Amino acid sequence: MSSVNKENVKELKGKKAPARMFIFPACVLVIYGMLFTIDPNKALMALKTSIHLLFTIAQPLVFVFVIMLVFNLFVKPAQIVRLFGKGVRIKGIVLSVVAGIISMGPIYAWYPLLKNLKEKGSGTCPIAIFLYSRAVKPFFLPVMIACFGWAYVVILTVLTVFASIAMGCFMSILMNEK
Amino acid sequence: MKIAISSEGADLKARVGHRFGISPYLIIADLGAGNFEAVASPGSLGQQGTGVQTIVLAISKDVQTVLTGYCSPAARRHLEANGIEIFTGLSGTVGEVLESYKKGEIQKVEVAKIEHEPEKRIGNMGILIDAMRRSCNQFASMLPIFLGVVMLIGLLNTFVSRQFLASLFSGNPVLDTFLGAFFGSILAGNAINSYVIGGELLRYGISLFSVTALIITWVTVGLVQLPAEIAAFGRRFALLRNGICFLLSIPIAIITVVVVNLVIR
Repeated sequence: MSSVNKENVKELKGKKAPARMFIFPACVLVIYGMLFTIDPNKALMALKTSIHLLFTIAQPLVFVFVIMLVFNLFVKPAQIVRLFGKGVRIKGIVLSVVAGIISMGPIYAWYPLLKNLKEKGSGTCPIAIFLYSRAVKPFFLPVMIACFGWAYVVILTVLTVFASIAMGCFMSILMNEK
Repeated sequence: MKIAISSEGADLKARVGHRFGISPYLIIADLGAGNFEAVASPGSLGQQGTGVQTIVLAISKDVQTVLTGYCSPAARRHLEANGIEIFTGLSGTVGEVLESYKKGEIQKVEVAKIEHEPEKRIGNMGILIDAMRRSCNQFASMLPIFLGVVMLIGLLNTFVSRQFLASLFSGNPVLDTFLGAFFGSILAGNAINSYVIGGELLRYGISLFSVTALIITWVTVGLVQLPAEIAAFGRRFALLRNGICFLLSIPIAIITVVVVNLVIR
């Protein structure tokens, strides 16, 4: 007896990110090219504005890299899976929040794994918590602080964590789980 | 007992994959139940980090043994740390390799091979280099879109007047918060881009309510990823989750801004 996980196959096909991620910047460059022929002075001004903005964000970006490095050194995806959704009691909820916060990469890369966990009996609550708590991005905090300030980032982060737990509870109730 | 075999195809007649991390499929054979399942391997995409996802996939499938052509030292370390045995240097079809394993023929050859593998133990420097390489890849992967966003903001700053952008928003905090949440829901990509865009929108006089709602829904609501989410968790779960996240973003944005104003004052 055999089975092929067709949804996984369908989901993973056609995501050639290495080529796709250059489409957007290439389009912006084409717009710049067109504007340079129409209004070179204003296009140059736009380029200078972009470079200025880039320098403003450069320092927080260095911190972003350092935090990414620390996470890659000490946090392994296998640990995240083991943390995730161990029951729906307080410990399970806290671990699901932590797993969501420290998880990296695009969300769709996590779908097959979360689906597997669901198939293995994990409830809706930890999955909903995990997906929401991904809104807290510890490695991007330096950029967020540079844009909005400490107070804003701390308050939004705390509220996001609480909202992720509320989200888990809502989903659990609405999906008719005990 | 479950065994994962890296494979070039989705059945037992397929060749065993040359590399564990990047082979197109993992065949998960359950020796106890006598069946197997072919799972598309995330590592086959060749993106950074997806090789690690293959390891996580094997772990989440409760696999006890991995059979493959080659397994990198880093992957081997992760698998062994989770109690998974690895047998490398295998070729032929998945069915043949599986039969050999059942007969105990692989074990005798491969265990000796693993013991003599010089790269099994990697020092701290190797771990640091590995982490550095992954960080560089992750950083490089977000850079093109990020640079595109920065260049687009330069264009908006120069060619679009603040008055025009502000006119898109009504000035009503509640309505603007809804608008911000809506834009955040339809836009997708790295969260770092939402911070930069949000910061610039503030300069244009857009309310912090609206920008906060945009930042929240940018990550929590994914209309672009909705088909994939439906495929993974079902229509009811995906629609409910995205709907609640959208609605939840409004009170969170309002509370955040009110508390921030109180704290700053």
